[in-house]
Amino acid sequence: MSTVANTPTRSWPPRGAALLGWAVLAAVGVVLLLAPLIFDLFWLSQILTQALWLGIAAVSLTFLYRYGGMTSLAQVAIYGIAGFAMGNVVHTINSEGGLNLGWTPWLGVVFGIVVAVLLGLLFGAIASRSYGIYFLMITLALSLFVFYFFGQVTQLSGFGGIRSVSRPGYLGDPITHPSPLYYTCLGCSVAVYLLLRYMVRTPFGIALQGIRDDPGRMSSLGYHVALHRALAFALGAFVASIAGVLSVWFNTQISPGSINIQQTIAVLIIAVIGGLSRLEGAWIGALAYALIDYYARQHTPTLGLWLNPGRFATIIGVVFLLIVLLSPDGLIGIGTRVWALVTRRGREAEPGTAAAAPTAEATLEKAGTMATGGPPSSGRQEA
Amino acid sequence: MAVAAQSAESAEPILRLRGVGRRFGGLRAVDGVDLQIRRGDRRAILGPNGAGKTTLFNVIAGEFPPTDGTIDLFGTDVTHSPARHRAKMGLARTYQQSRVLLGLSVEDNIYLAALGVRTGHTFPFRSRKRDAPLRARAREAAREVGLERRVGAMVSELSHGERRQLSIGMARVAQPQLMMLDEPAAGLSRAERVTLTELLLALPEDVTLLLIEHDMDVALRVANWVTMMHDGRVIVEGTPAEIRANETVHELYLGKRHYGD
Repeated sequence: MSTVANTPTRSWPPRGAALLGWAVLAAVGVVLLLAPLIFDLFWLSQILTQALWLGIAAVSLTFLYRYGGMTSLAQVAIYGIAGFAMGNVVHTINSEGGLNLGWTPWLGVVFGIVVAVLLGLLFGAIASRSYGIYFLMITLALSLFVFYFFGQVTQLSGFGGIRSVSRPGYLGDPITHPSPLYYTCLGCSVAVYLLLRYMVRTPFGIALQGIRDDPGRMSSLGYHVALHRALAFALGAFVASIAGVLSVWFNTQISPGSINIQQTIAVLIIAVIGGLSRLEGAWIGALAYALIDYYARQHTPTLGLWLNPGRFATIIGVVFLLIVLLSPDGLIGIGTRVWALVTRRGREAEPGTAAAAPTAEATLEKAGTMATGGPPSSGRQEA
Repeated sequence: MAVAAQSAESAEPILRLRGVGRRFGGLRAVDGVDLQIRRGDRRAILGPNGAGKTTLFNVIAGEFPPTDGTIDLFGTDVTHSPARHRAKMGLARTYQQSRVLLGLSVEDNIYLAALGVRTGHTFPFRSRKRDAPLRARAREAAREVGLERRVGAMVSELSHGERRQLSIGMARVAQPQLMMLDEPAAGLSRAERVTLTELLLALPEDVTLLLIEHDMDVALRVANWVTMMHDGRVIVEGTPAEIRANETVHELYLGKRHYGD
């Protein structure tokens, strides 16, 4: 990792802080590994497992934004393609929905991912010559296209979805025994995270960041900018397709409703709430989203017409607004500031310098101006 | 030195523009420009603001195609080929505003400039074997432009002058045959200009230099041939001494005639 990771490790001489960092990481690791022993079934399934696969969907967006300067609204459509492709070819227990070709689950996974990556490459090729708001609109259009396609071509989507999509045997019943699926999602999350961290320091990844900063300059240095962006988009599609497979296993079904515009916005919100400056933000945002989802439905008071337990969208909207206004870098930004206070790194913890490395901020602001419609940048300017 | 560089005149020009024009709507930014650059030339393009110098640069580098005329680069017609092809053929350029990659380190910037003219842009693995020579070249280029202490720094932290140095380092590391610099001295202090001039004078003799420069001292010291542009056209060409003495040039830059100098 270039910007974000380098600076802290190099400019943090205090041993105590590094030690604390490793301790926190170890604690999180232990909790995640022992989660089935710590949390009840509901928490394990509805909060943690859901947060993990939603995080994978969101990190595909975080990656494209953070390293490619692309705010894609097509990630949900792509994971839907993977889910539907898999759902159609594998055996479904009641054969009402989809083609029900009776393939084995693992063959279905491979097919779903391959189809999603190929279409992702096609989508990327279509969108790769556009920037900022135009890129956003093209990916939104593609997203709606996929949603309506599956909504109307009922041969492929069943009436109201493909139900009881068969899973690999080891997963068992994710409702009564959520642990296998939980560990699957955890393993996939770690693998995706490591893959993306690795990719951004390969020649491909460094050039992608160059293209994020100045596509015209990269073109004059000899790079095929559109091809590069399309390939990056395909990598994002690969990550999203993994989330698609996991979401089908998690829900045991897939329907056009699960890839609608609300879900598209939800993944965008998750990425922004978590913080776009670091890949980890996607999972943090997804956890926050799952928690707000659950607790808002449980504990929201009824205030006449204004508020009631059904108003999850209102609550998440307000939270989104607050986070965007208070910390443009999401929960990661808040975390970085707290961390700076704890480790006394930014002694005064000025609001301008606290969040991540200044360089990461400068990058984000640049990217923020490119990707109109992405998170509003605060107008702070690093010299 | 200037004479030595001129000696290759029998050779075929490495850049030849024939009747090149570029219109933006009704504006003729560049109009009927003929230009021949030979290997080893040190050519400065002068002219007041709005003369079409940068547009001419953009057309030569392939930012956008000309609306009229043809461009031959190293003997090949590149009129409609994209910028990246010209970069790989051996053309490197800098920009009026240093366009450097703000989210990456100095070394990564130069590394990308070195990688750009090679293959393997989309290589998805880390390979020390592949990268070590390029990284070494990048650090070497950083040293050549005086940024050896800043190789690890993020480009967003560099000063204006350092970004200019970096731009030139990025152009050099690609080992271009033709280097195009758009106002490299703009915004530099006097000391930085001296450094820049020395840097340009120290370029290998077979590197061809095409230079836009407002600073007459830099331009006329580095160049051995000067092309003067005005309103999109070439109006005068000559040696620095001729240009210095030329009446039209004085008129354009100073706005009035100096009779009886």
